[in-house]
Amino acid sequence: MSSDAVHALLPLVLRFGVISLFAIGGGTSSIIPLIHDVAVRELHWVDDRAFTELLAIAQAAPGPNYMLIPLIGWHVAGILGAVLSLAAFLILPVTIAFIAGRLLHRHDNATMATVRGAFRPVTAGMWVSSGIIIARTADKATVDVAITVLVVVLALRVELSPLWWCLGAGVLGALLA
Amino acid sequence: MNKHSLPALALAFAQIGLSSVGGAAAPIRHVLVVRRRWLTEAELAETFAIAQALPGASAANLAVILGDRFAGALGPFATVGGLSLPSLGVALVLVAAATHLSAANARFAAAEAGVSAAVAGLFVSNGVRLAWRLWHDAPALRRRWRGARLGISLAGVALVAGLHVFIPVVLVGLAATSFGIEFALRRRVAAT
Repeated sequence: MSSDAVHALLPLVLRFGVISLFAIGGGTSSIIPLIHDVAVRELHWVDDRAFTELLAIAQAAPGPNYMLIPLIGWHVAGILGAVLSLAAFLILPVTIAFIAGRLLHRHDNATMATVRGAFRPVTAGMWVSSGIIIARTADKATVDVAITVLVVVLALRVELSPLWWCLGAGVLGALLA
Repeated sequence: MNKHSLPALALAFAQIGLSSVGGAAAPIRHVLVVRRRWLTEAELAETFAIAQALPGASAANLAVILGDRFAGALGPFATVGGLSLPSLGVALVLVAAATHLSAANARFAAAEAGVSAAVAGLFVSNGVRLAWRLWHDAPALRRRWRGARLGISLAGVALVAGLHVFIPVVLVGLAATSFGIEFALRRRVAAT
């Protein structure tokens, strides 16, 4: 491993450690714009195209939603970058959850429901924002603009696993290229 | 809740991770409640409620809490490791293959661009659907309150995708405003 990769590890660990605490409302998917801001615009760990590719793989591949984090880590600093990024991203929330799990054997369900309810509008806004940010990079060709619009419209009517939308779009993209 | 061995936990959560596409909620229920009967529906719902109200990935939060309950302090290592590591292996193989293929083959690169375009569409679609539910799931609620919820979503899109305001500030500000709205609404409902 090059010394560049070693120097890249500390910022990866620190940034992903902090970012994890902003993942509210239950998912990494609600902070895609924040991850994009840090990884692409601020620290140039990946360019827009690589970010979009890694995100597409993280969404289409089997696995929890947070796989984007180790994939960025891998892009920056190889396998060690992947493992450390993942560990850094998980350690703080998971520690909090461990403590909460031991303390909250009897909790107020109404309060929990209100807390989750409060996150929902924020999550909806972040999902739409994520789509717009990804589309800015992904939709260079007319075919790709058409695919995005088509998926927005169709996926609102038909609920399918994201895997099928991705497969269909991949085939369509290849055929029309 | 019964106790389970660390390898059994790691295996169950590896199964959950590898069958998660677009969210782990459905496979968690399938593996833990339906197949293994380690949890009841109610126990899962209650634990999920905690996991989702805390910061971080809810699947990992849930894995930690259940790991602790099933096997004590070492349990979380088995559950989070099982959930994450096999999936990470698969994702890394896919990334390596995709990078290799899209450099070598223009048609594959076009396919990959199509997938990215679909992912963009899925995010917009999921966000719009969630916003739609915010409006339609509470028909009895006055439009003012439902409008306030939608306002949070719209402000998020405008500030993040439109104006590029510093995102941590947007997240904290919107979450705080949304909390204010929901707790005020709860007090209002309790009072009537």
